[in-house]
Amino acid sequence: MNNWFKSGSPWVWLSAGGVSISLISVLGLLGLIAWRGLSYFWPADIYQFEMTDEQGKNLTVIGEIYERESIPASQLVHLNLNIDESAETIERLLIKTGNRELVSLDFRWILVPQINNTSLPEELVVIERRTNGNFYGFIEEVILDGQVVEQNEMLQLVERVSDFQAEMEDLQKSDIGAINYQIERTRLEERKHILDDTLTPQLQQEFKDKVAGLKADYSVLEEQLMALREKISRDQVVVRAMDGQKVTINFEDVLQVTFNNKLNVFEKLKMFFSQIGAFVSEDPREANTEGGVFPAIFGTVLMVLLMTVIVSPLGVVAAIYLHEYAGNNALTKLLRIAVINLAGVPSIVYGVFGLGFFVYMVGGSLDDLFYAETLPSPTFGTPGVMWSALTLAILTLPVVIVSTEEGLSRIPSAMRHGSLALGATKAETLWRIILPIASPAIMTGIILAIARAAGEVAPLMLVGVVKMAPNLPLDGNFPFLHLDRKFMHLGFHIYDVGFQSPNVEAARPLVYATALLLVSIIVALNITAVSIRNRLREKYRMLDQ
Amino acid sequence: MISVTPKKLSEHRVKLDLNNLSPEQVALEIKNLDLYYGNKQALQNISMSIPKGQVTAFIGPSGCGKSTLLRCINRMNDLVDICKITGEINLNGENIYDRHTDVAALRRKVGMVFQRPNPFPKSIYENVVYGLRITGVNNRRVLDEAVEKALRSAALWNEVKDRLHESALGLSGGQQQRLVIARAIAIEPEVLLLDEPTSALDPISTLTIEELINDLKKQFTVVIVTHNMQQAARVSDQTAFMYMGDLIEYSDTNTLFTTPAKKKTEDYITGRYG
Repeated sequence: MNNWFKSGSPWVWLSAGGVSISLISVLGLLGLIAWRGLSYFWPADIYQFEMTDEQGKNLTVIGEIYERESIPASQLVHLNLNIDESAETIERLLIKTGNRELVSLDFRWILVPQINNTSLPEELVVIERRTNGNFYGFIEEVILDGQVVEQNEMLQLVERVSDFQAEMEDLQKSDIGAINYQIERTRLEERKHILDDTLTPQLQQEFKDKVAGLKADYSVLEEQLMALREKISRDQVVVRAMDGQKVTINFEDVLQVTFNNKLNVFEKLKMFFSQIGAFVSEDPREANTEGGVFPAIFGTVLMVLLMTVIVSPLGVVAAIYLHEYAGNNALTKLLRIAVINLAGVPSIVYGVFGLGFFVYMVGGSLDDLFYAETLPSPTFGTPGVMWSALTLAILTLPVVIVSTEEGLSRIPSAMRHGSLALGATKAETLWRIILPIASPAIMTGIILAIARAAGEVAPLMLVGVVKMAPNLPLDGNFPFLHLDRKFMHLGFHIYDVGFQSPNVEAARPLVYATALLLVSIIVALNITAVSIRNRLREKYRMLDQ
Repeated sequence: MISVTPKKLSEHRVKLDLNNLSPEQVALEIKNLDLYYGNKQALQNISMSIPKGQVTAFIGPSGCGKSTLLRCINRMNDLVDICKITGEINLNGENIYDRHTDVAALRRKVGMVFQRPNPFPKSIYENVVYGLRITGVNNRRVLDEAVEKALRSAALWNEVKDRLHESALGLSGGQQQRLVIARAIAIEPEVLLLDEPTSALDPISTLTIEELINDLKKQFTVVIVTHNMQQAARVSDQTAFMYMGDLIEYSDTNTLFTTPAKKKTEDYITGRYG
């Protein structure tokens, strides 16, 4: 036994065990998120349950099975169920029944012993809608242009309508949006002239004409929009819900119509991928509990990229100063300790700092200086994507500084001496020899910074993230990149959907799906940075290292 | 006495009177040089004249100050914070320790090759043109010519002419050292300092470098530090023997190795210590 200890094998086992635990945790975490997240996109079977409730009433429940759980039978005694007395637990199912206009909750629990018959009728249809969530039922009538038509024309109809919808959206977002933007700009320009006291009657007339022109364009577009809306509104579908009620749904509202129970595996697979596609490319609906997360993906990536652009030069320059130029004295040591400790400050503190310093002080002053015409409504003096990027840049600065400094100190002095001996100055040596060789270390710092920043939510809640941003920070209106705008973020989206939404049950799979997406995006950003680093490493590899 | 019978000992060596060189013959003049590392004096009152177009070797036991003296000539000791120097080194009649000296310009005139090959992690081509690019030369034709000339002078051209744009780190140790020499001579310095250039190399590479040194003195004044007496005897015209920071003896190589004037020199070259 003593020998076994001396041989070192216990420590090998211990460290191997530690590695395995970490590995299993990581894989388990990813596996769980992936399974829960991805199953959200798989077209589920729609069940029809014939059951008898406590009062002996027969009823039909239609929906997807969301969850299964066992509960102690003793809890249900007062319901005087017609069940086996000896059973200790009873199984119950959580069914997503949709049809929010008929029942306020689109989920309900049913007890397995009450079910008389379970079936999967092929005619059951899932209608995904813009409002009120999914509708489950049987199609009764399809009405096109006020006329009842064959039911099998339904799918073409949906396609036609979604084309119209796309057209309408395009019209609303880009064309009408652009005109609104220009009208606002003209108003601001006029106000600026008023503030500067340079508004001549001639100018005033110009502005008036311009606005009148824009308004004329606007009304033309609005008419087009109304026409489109009119076209769609005459198409309807009548559906019978599980309790026999007939509901008329406007095609305007319909996003997708599927007969889940008719689909074979390949069709389901196709739908699975198209659902994922929709999730990453569409805007959220219904207080973020449905639809896609595109604005959040966009916001996250844009913010992280901005942060990287800010933090890399800042961190590298600071590290160069600390390592190359600052004297090796107590002050430098103090600075270095301060930098390292900066990494330990809780992130919410950075958020408070960002709000106080960037948003109110810097942003407020910018508004006073350059955006006086929009006051009292602030431009930069309010949380926005630029302040978020800056706040996170400060948060991740120590990481970049420390790894850059480490990289600088690893470079053999022979490299410096070689360059200096050839008549290069210190700055030339830094720029041409030292920085390229240190670039893999700099990239390591940037990778760590990205990993930290992309997952950070707390400070962003103070300096720029919102639940629902009306516009992306990047669009077709000059100056294209609107750094003053608020943005959506996947991390915050998870929090919002999971804990702030009115319909937590419905949102739960969305939480997993969003988490999976956030992890994938961070991994993708990291892989990109790692591959750049590896290429640099290969390029500047030293033979004797 | 160990036999020191270098093959080129008797060839084309012009015996100079090192104490009475005419100004045109002098490349470097070191006058009363003292050097301190903190409180420790590493060089004591060194005075010597290094003749132009010849190879001068510094020999002596480890820690005798020979590398330190060499590094004084292109002011590489400036990089050591605690180093303090008094005295003069005159290059072309100008004191390089003058306050107004442009150190970068000095180092372009006095090139240096280190003990271990230190090519930059760039292509062979970029290594050679590094010094030229620093001075602002970017004309492709000029650079191409300079590369060929420098690599030919360093006897490396034939080995690398087909892979100029591959990484210099792929070369062997001996090739790397010749590349570093090519890099140093590409900017056409007046003086070339070699700090134990073969101590990290195998015997065959050492031989190549030694032959190269013999060719180089046609264009440059060469100062070489070596701990290998046979090498000093083989390649140098003048030899200086240093011991504990003092310049003990400085004369032409032939004399120093056959009839040393000082007891310490004799003890060293006969292998009694060192």
